[in-house]
Formats: sequence, structure tokens, C-alpha cells
Amino acid sequence: MNYKKIFSGKEKIFDFHKIAAIIRKNFMVMIRDKARIIPLLLFPFTMIMIFGYTSGNVPKHLPAAIAVYDHSPLSERIQQGLHGNQLLAIRKEVSTEDQGKKMLDSGKIKVLIVIPNGLQEKIDRGEQAGIIITVDESEPSVANIVKQSIKHTINGISNEISVEKITSFQKSAEMSSQKLQNYNRATTNNYELIISKADSADASIEAANKKIKSMAKGIDDSIASPSTIPVQKVTASEPVYSNQSYLPETPAYLSSKGWVSALMQSSASLDSAKESVQAAAEIAKKEDEKLNEAREYKFYNDNLVEPGKAISRFAGYSPNTLSEPMVPEEKPAYGTGKKDIDFLIPSIIALTIFQGAIFGMGRAVAGERKEGSLMRVFLTPTSNATIILGTLLFYVIFEIFRSSFLILIAMSLFKIRIEGNLIAIFFIIVIYAAVSTAIGMFISTLVKSEQQYQGIATLVALPTIFLAGAFFPIQTMPKFLQGIAAFLPVTYAGDALRGVMIKGFSILTVSFDLLVLLVFFTLTLSLCFMVFKREVI
Amino acid sequence: MKPMIQLKSLTRKFGALIAVNSLNLEIKEGEIFGFLGPNGAGKTTTINMLITLLRPTSGTAIVAGHDLIANAAEIRSIIGVVPQSFSLFPELTAEENLWYIGKLYGMGDTAIKERTNKLLKTVALYEHRQRISGDFSGGMKQRLSVAAGLMPNPKILFMDEPTTGLDPQSRIALRELTQELNKSGITVFYTTHDMEEAEKLCDRIAIMDKGRIIALGTSSEIKHMIKEEHVVEVHIDNAPDNTISELKKMPYVSSVEKKNGVLNIKVRQHEGIVFRLSQFFLKRRQKVSEIRVKEHSLEDVFISLTKKELRD
Repeated sequence: MNYKKIFSGKEKIFDFHKIAAIIRKNFMVMIRDKARIIPLLLFPFTMIMIFGYTSGNVPKHLPAAIAVYDHSPLSERIQQGLHGNQLLAIRKEVSTEDQGKKMLDSGKIKVLIVIPNGLQEKIDRGEQAGIIITVDESEPSVANIVKQSIKHTINGISNEISVEKITSFQKSAEMSSQKLQNYNRATTNNYELIISKADSADASIEAANKKIKSMAKGIDDSIASPSTIPVQKVTASEPVYSNQSYLPETPAYLSSKGWVSALMQSSASLDSAKESVQAAAEIAKKEDEKLNEAREYKFYNDNLVEPGKAISRFAGYSPNTLSEPMVPEEKPAYGTGKKDIDFLIPSIIALTIFQGAIFGMGRAVAGERKEGSLMRVFLTPTSNATIILGTLLFYVIFEIFRSSFLILIAMSLFKIRIEGNLIAIFFIIVIYAAVSTAIGMFISTLVKSEQQYQGIATLVALPTIFLAGAFFPIQTMPKFLQGIAAFLPVTYAGDALRGVMIKGFSILTVSFDLLVLLVFFTLTLSLCFMVFKREVI
Repeated sequence: MKPMIQLKSLTRKFGALIAVNSLNLEIKEGEIFGFLGPNGAGKTTTINMLITLLRPTSGTAIVAGHDLIANAAEIRSIIGVVPQSFSLFPELTAEENLWYIGKLYGMGDTAIKERTNKLLKTVALYEHRQRISGDFSGGMKQRLSVAAGLMPNPKILFMDEPTTGLDPQSRIALRELTQELNKSGITVFYTTHDMEEAEKLCDRIAIMDKGRIIALGTSSEIKHMIKEEHVVEVHIDNAPDNTISELKKMPYVSSVEKKNGVLNIKVRQHEGIVFRLSQFFLKRRQKVSEIRVKEHSLEDVFISLTKKELRD
């Protein structure tokens, strides 16, 4: 006979009437066991309260002191800025840095800010100046937030100063640009005037030249055909001589004498005309020189147009874009208006389910075994599978109830927003509750009493609580902790819940997580069946 | 008659310790069978094996026609158990506890209701049926435990030291209840370390020590097993020294002691001794107020068999 074999019999492996009875019995026991049900229901409530009221809240009114060594308007401004920082509660301005350090050591203040001497001067000279921040590092996360916040305040003021400086630069640039433009305009006008003058000079020379030419032509013509010369009483028979002494005063002679004098007059006027042309040419030459000069000016002027434009462009910029050309703009990845609590809810649910299962299962098998009531159950023709499944189902139902309770509180008190499908969320909760309960059940079947159970359960629960992602993000953990997290069902449940609740994923997108959870469940449940002892020793 | 329970070389070891050492025993249908022995004798281990809560290391038992190893589930549905300690759900009422047990026996709700009412009346808890059982007194809890044991309408009721920790009144009540149940046809397997209780209640008794049965039979049969001499007490006002020496010369007398006006005479054969002693003192005209043959108690039997006290 095989004595190793578990007692066999004709009882049904899964007897659903009995499973229903086990669920109902557990329900009756649970609602009357005040010492168990109250903490179990208070846990999700407490969790949601703690996270709801603390998450997203930066620390406020941390005691701080400022040691001021520079008494300038700028220093005043920095002090005002720091007073306006909600994170700080500036108790007093201490006179020296040492005094402030002592207060920091004694814990009276958490932050000490030193405004060094000559701050304003340095800034005015265009040098960079430092503000010294000392933070009590005993609470690293708070210290970091404070440092960031003070840096932010100082950067803000720094930026204001930049904007002011840029604005004043722009003003002088604007003026330079204006002057340049005026000069430009003057040069251009001058140039045009000179050109027109030169043009008119050229024109008058031309006219004079024309006149001379026509006069000279007239002279030439009159020489060639004297008839045209206004001669009176001159006849052709009289020879023309130039010597007047012996030229008889003949009509011809008289005529030629008149002609000559006319010619001489013409010649004189031609000379004067030439002189005037020469004078005009002189003027034109001068104008030409001016013109060259003007051209030179024009050339330089044209070269100044680009810098002028650049200056005016600079002046035209908004000072803010110059001091801060880039500004990070946040675009929410998963819907707008999400609060920190919205992102934490999945982790809190995962944690609550696990805590409930671990807390509840101690009584379920180990407790009932110790108490003897499990023995009473063993005495009945009820299969192990029925006992395990009935117990498991009750706790799964109970965990669904607790999770719903938690979500309801979160929705009514903190107005959390859930992106995904409620049925998908429900599905994940059911699977995770089953996994957690099976783990609790497995431990419970291993041990002999609730006390032993608590010991082992704590060991399992601790990494789960801290690696659930509610307290610390998993991604920032060292590799080995992430390695441990990979073996914890909470990692996958949290991932799936976050995916569906925050990112609005469908159940298919998180199917890998669900698959892993199902594998966990199958393994743990099989282990339960393997170690579940019907014996009383 | 076919035996109700038949132990066949039933053995259970815990490591090197042999808790139950190859027991062969038959319990008849309809009897109250007492299983006596000190703590640690192996009583509970034996009962746990018989009620399918513990696997035998070797051997087996036939319980109501079913083999312990092969047909545990069948055995479970025809036996009732009253465990040593209260093993019901303290958060549930008397009624709810019985409802749950009934459900696990596969009973329907109406059948459960009927049986629960009947049993609660039997164990005198009907008035308290809606009270939370955790608030019950020790006696009430044990009566509820009996009712739970009776839920499957068992052929055999195993009672593992049911009176331990109860006050005398509750003990008597439980004993009477057991007798009543037995009269209604239930075979009772009753373990106890109380000799008196066993003597008063049980039809047959097995005395167990160190995993073995050292005596088996009715209480008087067991008492007769004792090989030791009987003591005859003679209450006499004044016995001269020569009386003692003369008494020592009587047949079968092995020793005479005088203690506080009582002569303790050890005899090898106690049949007819009262008559012969009366003759002896009458002849010498000595006034004797009482002559009594002290009977052996089970305690004496146990001490004589194991050389140790039972309640150790």
C-alpha cells in the first residue's frame, strides 16, 4: 500500500456548493472579527489619505535665515524675492555667516543664504556674482527641493537683471541707429545736391561752349562771306588794305574799317566768352571734386547700412527673448490636469491588495490550523482543492471590495481621474488579488501558526511595499533592486495598472504583465496544492 | 458480530519515536470503547489516524467497513469527532457553525436546519443557538462540539478527552449525553486519562502506554489481571501482639501490618478470607468493627503494569 499517497476518496475535487459555503463562512467570520476587518478597511483609507494629502505637496515654510553683507537695491531685491518664496520662512536676517551656521547646526534653521559684499558693484561692472546657499542635508529629498527652489528664485532675479541690462543696451542701440540714419539721410541729400549742382555746371559749360562755337562759326562765316558783315558804304572796287594811313577814306576802306572793328569786337567778345567758359570749367572742375568726395561719402554710407540694420534689429528684439531664448514647455503625456495622486493610485492599489492578502491569509490556513477549525473541515469529505479554492476566492472577492473602496475614496476625496477602461482595471485587480492571495496561502500552508506566518509574510511584504513604486520610482533604483523587483508580482501589477489607469492602455497592451501574473498565480497555486497538508501532527 | 473498527498492525512513527506501535484491536458495534493512558501514550495519535487526519506509517485500520488508506473520504462521511479542544469558529453562532459543518458534509439547507435544531435540543443548546459560540462556557462549547460531531449522523463517534478542563457538573452532563447517544446506536470511541470516568462509562477499556496496549477488556476483567496480593483491612480496637503473629500463621497470609487501629493483612487468595477472619476473631472474642477486602482500582492496575502513576 502506498503510504505516501494522500488519503484518497470519492469526494468531488471541486465542489461548488462547498466552495460557496466556505466563502460565506469566511464572510461571516470576517465581518465579526473586528480586530481584523477594521485594520483591513482602514488600510486603504489611511493609504489614500497619506498619499492624497502628501503627494505633490512640496515642503512649506522651512525656517531659513539670510546673512546680508551687501546693502544695495539689488540685495534688497534678492531678499524680497526670497521672502516671497513659499518654501522658506525667513526667520530673521542674521548679521554674520558664522551666526547663521550656528543656527543651522542647532537646527533652528534649515537653510542659510549669504548675500556677499559688493554684489551690486560686481553686477554693475558686468561680472558674475554668487549667492551662497547652505542647506541642512539631513533630509536629502527636502534639501534638494529647497536648493532647486532657491536657485529658481535667484535665477528669476538674475534673469530680470539681464532683461534690464538688455533693455538699456537696446535703448542706446536704438539711439545709435537713429543717429546713423540721420547721418545717412544727410549724406544722401548732400550727395544728390552736389550731383544736381555738377549737372547744372556741366550744362552751363555746355551752353557756353555751344555759344562760343556758334560765335566762332559766325566769325568764320563772316570772314568767308563778308557780305554778311554789316558794312556801310563799302564797295568792292576799293582794295582792302590794312594800313589806314594811306588808305583813302574810301567807302570800301571805311567799310572794311567798320568790318575790322566789328571783327575785333567779335574777337573780344569771343575772348570774353572763352574766359567765361574757362571760368565755368573751373567751377565745373570744383564741382567734380566735390562730386568725387560725395561719391566717397556715399560709398562709406552704403557700407554702414548693414550694421545700422543689425543694430536696429537688435533694438527691436524683446528683451525676454534675448535673455531667455528657450523656455521648456510641458506637454502632459497622458491627458491634462493630472495630479500626483493620479499617478500614485495604481501603486497604492497594488500595495493595498498585497497587504490585505498577506494580512488576511495568516488567519486563513495557519490560524485555522492552530485554532483547530481547519481540522474540523478536514474531518468532512471536502477535498483540498475545494478548501483552497473556497478560501482563495473569498479573499479575492474581499480584495476586489477593498480596491473598489479605495478607488471610490480616491475619486470622491481627491477627484482622481482614471483614463482606462474600468473593466480592464477590474480584470487586473482580480488577477493580482488572486496572485497575492495565493502567495499568502502558500506561506500560510507552510507554517504552523499565525505567529510564524507573520514572520515570513513580513519578509515577503517588505520588498513588495518598497518596490511597489508608491514610495520610490523603480527606474531610479540600483540594478540589483530592479532585479529583485522583476521577481515580485507587484512590479507587473503596478505596471499594468499604471498603463491602464494613467496611460489609458487597453487590456491587450498590458497583456505581457497579465501573462506574467498568471504564471505567478499558476506556480503559487500549484505550490499550495503541493504543500497543503491535510494531516494534524 | 462484525467489528466496527479493526486496527491492523496500525503503526505511526515520528522520526525515531514510535508513537503507536503495531496496534491490533477490534471495537464492537454499539459499545463505548475506552482508550486509556497517560499523556503521550499515543492515544491522540491513534485517534488521529482513525479519523483520517494522520497517515499511518504502516498497517491500517478498517473503520465501519472502509479501509483507512483507500477510502478516507467514505470514512469521513460516517464518523463524528469531538476533538480535545474547541475547534469551531468562535465568531459564528452555534447555529452557523453547525450550518457550515453540515454544508461541508454536502447536506442541503433544509436537512441542515432540521438536524441542527434536533441536535441543539439534544445537547441542550437550543436556547443559545443564536449566540456567538466564542462566548460560550467550556461545557457549552464542548456540547456544541458534540453536536458538530453528530452532524453527519455518524455510526461512530470519536471523543478525544472531551471532559478535560470541564467542571464536575459539565463532566457528568457530557457523560450522560454520551451514554444517551450510545443507547441510540452510536459506537463510541472514547479516550481519556481519567480512570474513574472510563470505569463508569466504558463497556470495554484498552490501556495504552508507550504506543502499546498493555491491557484490554471490561474494567473488572482488567482489574483481575493484577497478580498482586489483595489487602484486607480489619478495623480492630485493640489487637494484642500475639494476634498479629497468629494471623501471620494463617494460610495464604503473607504479611500483617498494624496502623492506626487498622490491621492491613496481605493475602495471596482473597476468596473466603472474610469468613475465615471473622472466625479467627470470634474464636478469640476480639471485637472487630469492620473487615473489608480492598478492591484493585484501574489506577492500581496501571501502576502495577507500568510501575508509574497514571496522571504523570
